[in-house]
Amino acid sequence: MSAPTARVRLRSLRPVSLALLLVSATYLGFLSGVPDGFGPLLAAAAIAVAAALRMSSRNRVAAYAPVPALAALALEAIPAPVGLGTELVAGLAGLAFLVWLADDPSRPARGSVRSLPTVTVPALALGIAWSSALLLPAGAVPLGVAGGLLALTLAAVALLVGRPTAFDREEA
Amino acid sequence: MSDPRSRPLRWRPLAPFLLSTGAALLLAAVLTRNPTPLFLALPLLLAPVAAGLAGPRSSPPVRIDLSVEGAAAEVRLRGAVVPEPGVDARDLVVELERPPSLVGDPAQFDYSPSQIRFAANWTAPEPTITEVTVPTVLWRDPMGIVERETVSSASPVVVSRYPPELLRIGAVRLERTTPLPGETHSRRVGESGEFHGIRPARPDDPPRQINWRATARAGRPLANEYDLDKTGDLLILLDARPTPLGRAVDERLFSVARAAAVGLSDSFLRVKSRVGVGVFGEFLDVVPLSTGRTQRIRIEMALKRAHLSSVSAPAERCAVSARRHFPPGLTTVVFSSLADDSSEDLSPYLRRRGFPAVVLSPSPLPLIAAASQLTGADEELASRIARLVRRDRIARAWQESPTIDWDDYWSLGKFVEFVRRPRVRRA
Repeated sequence: MSAPTARVRLRSLRPVSLALLLVSATYLGFLSGVPDGFGPLLAAAAIAVAAALRMSSRNRVAAYAPVPALAALALEAIPAPVGLGTELVAGLAGLAFLVWLADDPSRPARGSVRSLPTVTVPALALGIAWSSALLLPAGAVPLGVAGGLLALTLAAVALLVGRPTAFDREEA
Repeated sequence: MSDPRSRPLRWRPLAPFLLSTGAALLLAAVLTRNPTPLFLALPLLLAPVAAGLAGPRSSPPVRIDLSVEGAAAEVRLRGAVVPEPGVDARDLVVELERPPSLVGDPAQFDYSPSQIRFAANWTAPEPTITEVTVPTVLWRDPMGIVERETVSSASPVVVSRYPPELLRIGAVRLERTTPLPGETHSRRVGESGEFHGIRPARPDDPPRQINWRATARAGRPLANEYDLDKTGDLLILLDARPTPLGRAVDERLFSVARAAAVGLSDSFLRVKSRVGVGVFGEFLDVVPLSTGRTQRIRIEMALKRAHLSSVSAPAERCAVSARRHFPPGLTTVVFSSLADDSSEDLSPYLRRRGFPAVVLSPSPLPLIAAASQLTGADEELASRIARLVRRDRIARAWQESPTIDWDDYWSLGKFVEFVRRPRVRRA
């Protein structure tokens, strides 16, 4: 690889969103209950693999880049101990993952800026959920709420995947 | 022209991946009674919904400009996609398909917030007539979760590349012209040349060009036609029957012949000759004799649509059919590969029906040599034998009508030289 090509490849990493994802995922790995400090290592390795896949010139390979990143986040979130800080970091890692997705090197630059209207919706929902968990009294209720949310989500997923035209607006 | 109706929103593979991961995390949160996976799941579950809501709610209209430049083998495609205000051009994805008969690198795109410019430099390895389809333009959210096809009213661009010598062939004075009903040879010179004949009047004919006496006799409007408007008539006939060379070679030879036919008709139509086209596969498909810009488009469309027949029909059928559609005495150029005995029969039958034919035969030898797996002395021997067989076929075809062996597809110098020097032709 020649020097100019290497520079282009490095630029195509879009370092800001990658750093955001790396920091949040590593910190989630640190907070998760994975023993022997293996959590941050797993997160860093997964993000490195994801970035390498994204830099591939083959579109088919690059399409699989989100898989290792999201798998690492999920593996860290499931065994993580209950705690408001951990929950907030998990949510932020999810948002950082979305911003990283928007910074696709195969598309025009500043994708993360253009994706702000889309990212704002989950960010607001996350804020409301976290502040509710912080301020409302705890008890057996959250489990029931989570169960209800699960049923609602599955129904919404089935509906949306089956009918994407639900977003269409009728022509005037 | 693309369909102006609105297209539905489509999920991309990332959407089900995010939704299923989110649902799995939600399930894990319930099973482990741990809210942390729930917080990770929340952005993943909401992102597809938000992406669908943040994008345009119906197909955004875009303007697509497409143009083709270059000459001979060079094909330079230039274009721009301009969305309506309110849609960021950087959120659009342009999918441009290269026609199979052209080679070259993928197109280069230059994005700005208001438009996308693209350029492609392709090459035509052989003469060709092909169509560059209108690129598909998709609106895709920056995360690549959802997409929606845009609507545009652009039309595909036709690329025709043929040997440059054909541009000069129109200057050849065709020896035979079709006598029209009522034609009288006269030395009277009209406003636009020597009187040629009488034809049905067109709405745009000036009153001075209307032949009032002939109109009164015939009871329908007839107009004079002058030699400057009409230098002669030409029939281009393409043999689209299969040969023992195989489908792939036949297709390529037919493609070369189609491109040359477009060049030939273009050149003669430019000097206001009347040109007709026939494509003989199982039956004869014709474009009747006519002239003008409309005829050029008619011929181009017909040749673009023309395809190789899967059934071989007797040559006599072509001659009988040609006699039904065209008057005898037309100068006829036959494109035939002369790869088998049946293709050699075409010109004798045409000749018997009154069509003096010149055969222009695209040689299959360059294609066969390129695909050959032989090497060294074997290749040399096979090539010599193939050349001898070809020479024998051309010599036999010459006994019936003048035949030009066309082995360099980007040069028709031999053919142009032949038709420009009638003395040599008679000899």
